[in-house]
Amino acid sequence: MSNFLFGRYLPGKSWVHQMSPQSKLMLSFYFVIVIFFANNVWTYASLSVLILIVVVMSGVSIGYFLKGIRPLIWLIIFTVLLQILFSSGGHVYWHFGPFSVSDTSLINGGYIFVRFLLIIMISTVLTLTTTPLAIADGVQTVLKPLKKVHFPVDTLALMLSIALRFVPTLMDEMETILNAQRSRGVDFGSGSLKHRIQAAVPLLVPLFTGAINHAENLSTAMEARGFTDSEHRSKYRVYRWQRKDTISWVAFLLVGVLVLFIRNN
Amino acid sequence: MNSKTNLFGISNVRDLTKAAVVSALYIVITMVFAALSFGPIQFRFSEGLNNLAVFNKRYVVAITLGCFISNMMSSLGPLDMVVGTGETLIALLTINIVTRFIKSLPLKLAASVLIGTFYMFIVAAEIAYLGNSAFWPTFWGAYLTTAIGEFVTMTIGAVLVYIISLRYDLNK
Repeated sequence: MSNFLFGRYLPGKSWVHQMSPQSKLMLSFYFVIVIFFANNVWTYASLSVLILIVVVMSGVSIGYFLKGIRPLIWLIIFTVLLQILFSSGGHVYWHFGPFSVSDTSLINGGYIFVRFLLIIMISTVLTLTTTPLAIADGVQTVLKPLKKVHFPVDTLALMLSIALRFVPTLMDEMETILNAQRSRGVDFGSGSLKHRIQAAVPLLVPLFTGAINHAENLSTAMEARGFTDSEHRSKYRVYRWQRKDTISWVAFLLVGVLVLFIRNN
Repeated sequence: MNSKTNLFGISNVRDLTKAAVVSALYIVITMVFAALSFGPIQFRFSEGLNNLAVFNKRYVVAITLGCFISNMMSSLGPLDMVVGTGETLIALLTINIVTRFIKSLPLKLAASVLIGTFYMFIVAAEIAYLGNSAFWPTFWGAYLTTAIGEFVTMTIGAVLVYIISLRYDLNK
């Protein structure tokens, strides 16, 4: 198996690491919703304080959070700039055609920037403290109520775990095929667009057929072992709701209520 | 498998494992080109796999799932996991249904590229919603950049999927 690390998980024993994946998942969704209710200094400040406490309790160094910002830096600059140039009201400092910069627009730009930071921080905490497999388990638990309407949650969960299982395998195979084609003289890194697409053919075709072969073999193996349905699968790791989850939920809910009270209506 | 586990085009173990490895393929391709895969001007080459929805409806589930897992790594995490994945699901369903009425494979793939590009307005709306009072300028700016990225990657994907389909029967 490849030593490639999927996702951004950092092992640890912090409070956040020990929480159950389903509650971490739900808390991050809830937090993102609350962020959209924030609309003044005090609401953003209280959410920032909460997220800083979470970051400290996750035991993850701040450098990892900065890394999470890097891929989105252009998106952030783009959105904040448009926000500054297009929002109206307040004391106008600069004005040109449809564009203007005022004190209100600068403040709004600042809010949008903080909003991005908050979302990036919460999702970084989630992915750094939870393995993809645990998140998949969390998703299964969260979707369980859909079973009532006959949605095949277990089938989906099984597909999730098979997919995650094959990521390192396919990664390895891709590496092998790349090397094999390179040794035959294929140049993947340079040339025109047309040339690069042509170079991708001897990479993707074997990768695809290889993947389908894995699927065929796996299904034969599963059927040979008497696999009939994905509903009665047992689990190696069982994540239970703990006191830590309850305490975190109470804290998050309190901050949510606080935000609703102190926001501008 | 019993009838309860029947999910959009997945009715037996073979369908299930095939869909799962295609999800894995989507994740692998997203990760290999990770630096280009997220953000406003994104060239997520795995989106080229969207064209598979033309061949079999099981790939609708497969790619939606792959997109969901890949979005776990996105810096906008929860937001992308819901909105981005939802966009993919709706786009793939439309591609699968619309292309049933088209006979020629190149035309089917062309339709799939256009549909995929069109639906990027959902992702643009997600980005625009983040910048609330400048909604429309942000929306059109983001729509333009994401649509260009999607059009390029899905066109490349369509060519590659077409070549794969010559050697492997993707319908079965």
